[in-house]
Formats: sequence, structure tokens, C-alpha cells
Amino acid sequence: MVMGDLSTFDPIVTTATMTGNHGLAIYDMLFSLDSKLIPQPQMVGKWAVSDDKKTYTFELRDGLGWHDGTPVTAKDCVASICRWGEVPSGGKLIVERASDISAQDDKTLIISLREPMGLLIEILAGAVTPVLYIMREKDANLAATEQVTANIGSGPFKFNHALAKPGASFTYDRNEKYVPRHEPTDGFAGGKVVNVDRVIWENITDQQTAVAALQSGEVDFHLLPPADLYPAIESDTNLALQVLNKAGDVYFMRMNCLQKPFDNVKARQAMLHLIDQEAFMRTSFPPEYTRTITSFFGNQTPYTNDENTGWYKKGGDPEKAKQLFKEAGYAGEKVVILQRTDWAEAGNCAQLLAVTLRKIGVNAELAPGDSASNGARRRNKGSVENDGWSIFITSESDYERSTTLSNPTLTANGEQGWWGWPQSDEYEALRAKWADVETLEERQALAREMQRIQWDIAGTVLLGSVLSPIARRKTLTGLIEMPSLTAMWNMQKVPA
Amino acid sequence: MAAYILRRFVSTIAVMAMVGIFIFLLLRLARGDPAAMIAGRNAAPQLIASIREHLGLNDPMPVQFMRWVRDMLGGDFGTSIFAGRPVLDLISQRLEPTLSLSILTMILSVSVGVSFGILAAWRSGGLLDRLLAAFSAVGYSVPVFVIGYFLIYFFAIRTHWLPVQGYIPLNQGLGPWFVHLILPTVALGLGYIAFIARVTRASMLEVLSEDYMRTAAAKGASSYAMLFHHALKNAGVPILTVIGISFAYLIGGVVLTETVFNIPGIGRLVVDAINNRDYPIIQSVLILTSGLYVLINLTVDLAYTLIDPRIRY
Repeated sequence: MVMGDLSTFDPIVTTATMTGNHGLAIYDMLFSLDSKLIPQPQMVGKWAVSDDKKTYTFELRDGLGWHDGTPVTAKDCVASICRWGEVPSGGKLIVERASDISAQDDKTLIISLREPMGLLIEILAGAVTPVLYIMREKDANLAATEQVTANIGSGPFKFNHALAKPGASFTYDRNEKYVPRHEPTDGFAGGKVVNVDRVIWENITDQQTAVAALQSGEVDFHLLPPADLYPAIESDTNLALQVLNKAGDVYFMRMNCLQKPFDNVKARQAMLHLIDQEAFMRTSFPPEYTRTITSFFGNQTPYTNDENTGWYKKGGDPEKAKQLFKEAGYAGEKVVILQRTDWAEAGNCAQLLAVTLRKIGVNAELAPGDSASNGARRRNKGSVENDGWSIFITSESDYERSTTLSNPTLTANGEQGWWGWPQSDEYEALRAKWADVETLEERQALAREMQRIQWDIAGTVLLGSVLSPIARRKTLTGLIEMPSLTAMWNMQKVPA
Repeated sequence: MAAYILRRFVSTIAVMAMVGIFIFLLLRLARGDPAAMIAGRNAAPQLIASIREHLGLNDPMPVQFMRWVRDMLGGDFGTSIFAGRPVLDLISQRLEPTLSLSILTMILSVSVGVSFGILAAWRSGGLLDRLLAAFSAVGYSVPVFVIGYFLIYFFAIRTHWLPVQGYIPLNQGLGPWFVHLILPTVALGLGYIAFIARVTRASMLEVLSEDYMRTAAAKGASSYAMLFHHALKNAGVPILTVIGISFAYLIGGVVLTETVFNIPGIGRLVVDAINNRDYPIIQSVLILTSGLYVLINLTVDLAYTLIDPRIRY
């Protein structure tokens, strides 16, 4: 399988998708999402919640064991929850609100809350990195900033240390002692049945070579073939493109709300009107794989809505954008767009953005850089004259835009928040309520209100949505279609 | 001779120290944040800040430098920030593919390049010379990745004669090891064949025009004896210099070939480390490569004495 580089092993210390995939293979989870994104018990056998909805009791199912041969215990789960609870905001929320997270016996753990939290199970089952993978207690006792490199889990695959070649390839062997659940596979939930003895992840950095290896049958799967090679794949009768993440990925830009010109809300709103999403998506993707998007909460999540989306106009509205920049008092300040040189799709969007801005008289300048240098520059809250920045472009899965409590990109808490630092106390107050409301309908109502505020403050501007297919040989079947992460169980090689 | 070798070893240490300081400063002054790379592109700023602190990246630069020097002097080249494994382990894992590719390429380049050069000089101005000149021009000017893609297309995808990519260690069989290295060796070797052929031709032509060559011809020496016993030996010093430089360049310059053919060698290790800002790997590989460069040059210098008895140190 051509998967990409697994540079960090520890799925708690990073948000990297590849590490999330690695975790999905070797670790197990208390709860997992099914194909409808509804949490289902995975390591948990029986569970119950007290009448006052403050105490959750989880009993681990039989047959769970670590790859080193020792049994999984409730203490391992407690330590894992506490370590994970240091990183994503959803995990932090659970730990903050818990009066007790402890093991009652070897197989039973309890989470006692100070007040009810309707979303507890959803947060535990979340598939956005960092995911709550259960680790051995001694691994989970490490600080959340210190990497766990033992790679010993209780999941359906065992990490083969002897064959690991960091940067080049990693080997995963079937965990023959893994006891899958009896239910059929359903998304990440149900029985994790492994049908292959070994899976090798290759990091083939040259995309031309990766597709050639797929064509010649040296590999069976390519996670992220570049769009310009789709025709070559489609024309090969032995190969197929398949969209596993049906909801797709959302491309968006963030503006530096602390510096001119985007410290003025009118300038940020101008960007909402300026963007022609179809044009931006065309820079890198065939039209049949792209869609426009207007909801802050993604195109295909339970919280997708149309509140305050009047700004959207097919083809964009440069005149309106020009007018809003004028109202913002724009006086020719330099707008620096961070352009990724090692991520072609984001880099292409940055180039088009620079051209589009210049057309309406904005003094836009590209700042090319790789992931590491852009990542470092993003930290700078200063002006562009002091090596700061104005705009950067990134993406995340559509599903992630529904994870309001865990996803830092959905915050609006100013300088305490995510890069760009938009601030709205009203939005944050609504976000704080998210964990407390009981029903989906109540959260959907909150989502409409939050979206109204987001499109008013315009800290984020959406560039479009894309479905990124994987490429596979037709002899590889049974791939699990889920957002965010790629599972390796259930798939099998069938005769040609 | 012994004093000369000792002096060169001392200068090697000095060169490595200079490279070390330069690389350390360059990496710290270049923009980039390993903590951000570990945490991922959509990580919370607080997580990145705590990883930076944990890795000691917030320490003053002199403190970081002294820590690195102290560890190096103790034989500890550090641990990869990302893989969490000792850098020397990672380097040793990547050394075999790079050395295999480099050595096979040098064998191919020297044997074919010197032969072509001799043939071209022997038939100077003739059709063979022109054909070889054309071959050299193409081999030297076409980028290795273009040659690589052509080879992959014809010999792997169309005919399935050879594998597209990958590397099989020598301990898993000589056959699979060799088969996986054929295309990369040819792709990488073409440029070196062209280079060595041009230098050999020029060097041979110079020697062939010497008076003693006319004397040898007048004495009835055969073409074979003239070319190989008299001319090649006297043309050997510049050829050997080029071979030495080429080999040293190969060790650090195979990254494109390793990338096109997905060979997990030193070149890719360094490129990945640079992308991730994995400082310990970059520093260690560059220090060791600089030492290797100097040692190869020393070996070439010493080899001159075998070819030309007039050279003494």
C-alpha cells in the first residue's frame, strides 16, 4: 500500500492523519463510529449510565490482549483517557468535568462527571486525530508531549519493529490473537476481521513511480493519487478509483485577524464574496470530484445548514469584495499569502488567490515555503513587515467540521485559539453550550446560531470541497468507506 | 607518506568540525519548526508550544550546540526527533541501498565510460567517435529522472521485465538485489558514463599525440599495446581524479534516483529529515558525508602513486 510518510508514531502527540491510520491498525478504541457516524461499543462489552446521567460504567469485553501477550485492563484505559485528555479540547473537556476516572476492577472503568455531558460517548468515539486509542498503562503514563514509540497496542494488526524502515516502509502483521466483535464490520465499528497476513506501507514519494508501481502490480493501493494521474488510472482496466471519504475534504483559508488589513471585519467579509469556489477547485481537481460549500459545519454533517449564507454567489462577486475592502479603509497594505511548495493543491489555490486579489487592487504577495517553514511562520502574530503573514490555506475532512468540541479550527477564542485568531465571545459561549445540550436538534439549533456568527466575523473562508479517491487494483476489495482515517481490516485480495 | 596521511586525517577532523558548526547554524537560522511538524498541520498552538519545550528547542542556541557537541564527542549522534531511534541506526539501515547503488553505478560507469573514451580516442574524428560524442552529449544532458521514467515505462510497465521500484537487501538474495538495482544503476550511470568517456577521450588524445607514442608505433607496437600499455597508463591520473570525484559526488548525490526508484537510501533519509526539520539526522549525515568525501579524496591522492611513480608524498 502506498500510504505516505509515517513520521510520528504516537497518535496522541500529533494530528497527522497518517499517524491516525497507524493507530487505527495497531490500537483499539472503547467506542468506534459506524458508517452512519453513530458511536458503537468496540472494546467495551456492556456499558451503562446512571439515572442522574453523571456516572458512566464501562465493562471491557472478553478476549482483549496486548501484542506483548498481557491482558488489557481497565487501568490501561484510565491512563489512556487521562493522557488523551491533555490534548484535544474534547478530551480536555471530559477530564475537566470528571470528578473521577478510575478502574473499579480489571475489566470495569468508571467516568464520574460533576454534571451531565450528553456528548461523552460521541467524544470518546471521535475519529479526528488525536483519537482516543487505548495504550498500555506504562505507555500512557508518559507525558502527552513525549512520544510513545513502543507501538504495542491491542488492535487487529501488530507493528513489525524488525522490518520498520522509517521514512521508507512499515510492516503490519495480522494479530492472530485478536478477537473481533461478532457484529459485521460497519464503518470503524463492528468486527475488525483481518483477511490478509501482512500489510506493507510504502512511502513512495514520487507520484509517477507510485502509480507505475500500482499499474505493474507491485502495490495494490494508493491512498492519495494526484489528480493529474486520474486519467492514467482510469484507463487501466486493472485499476479503479474509489472514494472512501464520501463527504470529502474542505479547503479553507484563514486570515490573520490581528493585523492589517484583516483586522477589519469588512476586509474579511470581502474575502467571502471574492472567492469563486469552482475556480479554486479547478486549479487542482477534476470538476466531477469537487463541490461548492457554504456551511461552516461541512457539506454532509448533521450540523450542515444554510444560515447566513447570502454571501455565496456562483463565480464570486469581485465588485462587492472591492467595495468591502474600500469600506474597510484598505490603503494598499501588503497581503502576504503563505504558499505551500510541498502541497501542490494548496499551493495552486494560493497562486490563484494572489491573482484574484491583485485583480481587485489588493497588494498581494506570495510567500513560498515548505510545511516546516510555513508552520513556523504561522506562529508569528506580528505584521508582514516583521515576517508575519496575512493568509494561509489548509484543509480538513468534512467530518472534522462537525467535531465542534475537539477541532481547534472551529474555535473563535482570539489569541488563545487557532492560527488567524478570530474572536467572538458570543460564538464561544454557544460553543461552550455544545457539550451540555442533550439532543441533536438542540445542537443543530446551536449550529445555525454559530454559523450566523462565523459568517459575520469571517475568520475562515471556504474555498471548496473535494472528494479525493484512492486508487486500487481491482483485486483488492472490501475497503472501508469512512471519513478521516483509513482502516486496513476487512479488505482482501481476490483472484484476478 | 605516513606523515602525509596523518596530516590529512587531522585536516579531515578540522573540515568536519567546520561543517558541523556551519550546518548547526544554518539549520537553526533557517525557518522551520520540528514541533509543528510533529504536531501536524491543524494542531492547537498550545500542543506545539509544549512539544517545543519538551524537545529543548526553546533553549538558547549555544546551549543546544554544546549539548550536541558533547553528545557527539561521546559517540552519541543523537536520536531522531520523529522516529525516536538512534540516528546511527537509521543511517546504517540506509547505507546499504546507497552504497549498493553507488558501487554498481561506478562499476558500470568506469567500465563502460573508460572503454567508450578509449574507443573514441582510438577512432578520433571517425563515425564511432561521433556516435560516442552524441551518446555522451545525451547522457550528460538528460536529467536522471527523465531517463528513469523512460526506463520504468519500457522495462517495467510495458514489458514487465524489471521491477518499477524498491530495494531488496543483499541478504535476501543476490538475484532480487541485482534485479531491483538494474534500472536505477543504468539511469544514474548514463551521466557518469558520458562524463568519464569525455575525460578519458580527451586525456587519451593528449597522450596519443606525445612523441613516445609515435616512437612506440615506429617500433611496431600493436594498437592494443599502444592503447592499454602506453596511453591509458599515462592518461590515468586525470581519469582517476574524475572517478574519485564522481564516486564522492555519488554518495551524496543519488537522491533523485533514490526518489524516482523508491530506494530507501541516505539521500532520501536526508531529504525527509530536511522536510521534517529532524535536526539530529541532518547534522549527523552531513558530518559523516563530509568525512567520507575527504577520505575518498585522500584515497584517490594515494592511488596516484600507484599509477605515476613520479608522484611522492
